[in-house]
Amino acid sequence: MNNIVSIGTSHHIAPIEFREKLAFSEEQLIESLHNLRNSYHLKEAVILSTCNRVEVYAVANPQMITESPTKTLLDFLSHYHRIGADILKKWSYLHQNIEAIQHLFRVTSSLDSMVVGESQILGQVKEAYDISRSAGGSGTILNRLFTKAFSVGKRIRTETTIASGAVSISYAAVELAKKIFNTLEQKTVAIIGAGEMSELTAKHLVANGVSKVIVANRTYERAVNLAKKFNGIPVSYDENLDFLIDADIVISSTEAPNYMIQRKPLADIMRKRKHKYMFLIDIAVPRDIDPDVSKINHAFLYNIDDLEAVVASNLKDRYEEADRAEKIVTQEAQRFHDQLQILEVNPTIKALHQQFQDIADVEIQECLNLANLSKTQESAITSMANAIVKKLLHHPVQNLRHSVNDGNADHSQYVHALRELFALDEKYDKEQE
Amino acid sequence: MNFLFLITVLLYLATTIFHVLYLTFGERSDAVSIRSRMEMIAFWMTILSFGILTLFIILWWIKQGYFAITKWSDSIAFLAWTITLVYLIIVRLTKLRTLGSFVMPVAFIFILISYSFSETTSHRADIFTTNWVIPHVILIILSYASFIAAFGFGLMYLIAEKKIREKTQTLLYNILPPLDVADELGSIFIFLGVILLTIGVLVGSFLPTYLKDLPWNWYDPKVISTLVTWLIYVVHICIRQFWGWRGRKAAFLSILGFLAVLCTYVGVDLTLDSIHEFQ
Repeated sequence: MNNIVSIGTSHHIAPIEFREKLAFSEEQLIESLHNLRNSYHLKEAVILSTCNRVEVYAVANPQMITESPTKTLLDFLSHYHRIGADILKKWSYLHQNIEAIQHLFRVTSSLDSMVVGESQILGQVKEAYDISRSAGGSGTILNRLFTKAFSVGKRIRTETTIASGAVSISYAAVELAKKIFNTLEQKTVAIIGAGEMSELTAKHLVANGVSKVIVANRTYERAVNLAKKFNGIPVSYDENLDFLIDADIVISSTEAPNYMIQRKPLADIMRKRKHKYMFLIDIAVPRDIDPDVSKINHAFLYNIDDLEAVVASNLKDRYEEADRAEKIVTQEAQRFHDQLQILEVNPTIKALHQQFQDIADVEIQECLNLANLSKTQESAITSMANAIVKKLLHHPVQNLRHSVNDGNADHSQYVHALRELFALDEKYDKEQE
Repeated sequence: MNFLFLITVLLYLATTIFHVLYLTFGERSDAVSIRSRMEMIAFWMTILSFGILTLFIILWWIKQGYFAITKWSDSIAFLAWTITLVYLIIVRLTKLRTLGSFVMPVAFIFILISYSFSETTSHRADIFTTNWVIPHVILIILSYASFIAAFGFGLMYLIAEKKIREKTQTLLYNILPPLDVADELGSIFIFLGVILLTIGVLVGSFLPTYLKDLPWNWYDPKVISTLVTWLIYVVHICIRQFWGWRGRKAAFLSILGFLAVLCTYVGVDLTLDSIHEFQ
């Protein structure tokens, strides 16, 4: 039986103080992979180590393992990181077979991530897998498992909407801008005041094609400093807001106690810019922009609460979609598990056939050598022998295949019995390889 | 023949239903897969309906022995065909399938009107045999189709703007185009429509000189109604060019223009006497 096992810890169950103790550097990864194969007698292994999770996936070697493979993994981690087995047990999860498969699929689908639908994890798992593969850690089964896990991750992201909708304020602003403007290229963004959030939003807008950045501040030096970051145009302002005439997107985050942008002056500016659309984002508290501004035609105003509501609603949608994604993951894991088991019985069936056929061939040959038979008689004997082989094997093979699909029967016991009883291992496994 | 027409009407009805369903499911966040399926069905239904209508029109022309678009009910069927064609071209160019939810119901209503009035027998008046009548009618029908596309963009603009101002995040909002796209495309089709209408009307105004029997009458209700329609759209273009009016006001004007088209094309024909009355 090819046992897929995994051990791991993540932000869901363990604090950072514990996760950092378990983390692997890249050299440690390679060293550990060799260790797992040579000292711990595991057939295959992949280690995933990110800031949110540390996980080891392994395939047990049925001939070598004397104790349970999960215990082997537990021993390995507790020895390697010098952590007491009790503490490790408390803050980690152990999975076997279908559960291990399902867990990995959930991880690559980002269902187990802090923010459901995030895209980073897929890349991180890929990296971990690549390291393991080039270090000789993964083999036939884990190669299959991880390739499938990547395709499930992609499927989830295309067939469900768990990865759509902005889940940060700055991305929400970019998405909204795209609802007003077809393209952000050739558009101008004006940042009033400084602040981490406005910088981040401006950065995202520039990454999405905004070509011109105006940086406005009450003190000119500050404007110049911030403008350098975006290759922008620094502007100092007092009461005059004329620099807004060119601005298609305005991000305001000053510390001014009153409304800086009021309805009447902005209406004048809108007239001067020939009523081209303007998207205003007010992320200051207290607010910078008079809410009445949104009554001006073609001026669209969102404040920090509005953006947060957008994010909250997107997050809610993602979690609703996550249920659908979980169903797909469960299905895929079951299917992969079944395929793996069929793969497991196939060599045995083949070996069994081969052995019977070989015996028949030898006996036919002997029989033919003894008796002097005509061609028709020869072929009659040959087909009789072949038919006997076929019919003798019919039920065992059928039942073996059924045992795979039948959840209650343990096909690995059958495989084991067949191999023992017919002594399949010595000769026919070598042929397989 | 009549049976094929009935099938066409039913196909357009089905297309309309799927387009409306597509829009309705747009409001629900748990129906993403249903919505994308609706979108596919609606789109392929449009193509099927268009194909059958094309077949019907060609067979009808063969049966009549001439380009039968000068009879009112025939011309209305031809308008429905043109609306569908314009919509399919827009989808090909911009991928904005959502437009179908706004223009295909209009096409269905026209097809239905055409079907209901196709029974009224009429003799082909001699004046309509002149070669200049055909381009006159075709140009005006093309302009109407453009105006109806602009009407669809106007509606989409208004809904999208409302969603942005209300700050509600429904999925419907994801299938509508960005504001500037809806606005720009609407104005392009109004511009196109005005050009086609202008040429079409000019062609028509020469007809009385060719046809001695046809009196030129400024008081013809259809002429007046068309002029009003034309004026609405010209005003639309002017205020956009010179005062930068766009967005909501432009969208409202495109809806007003559409109503004027309806009055001219359907209202006048059904109620008032006119030389343009096709029967």
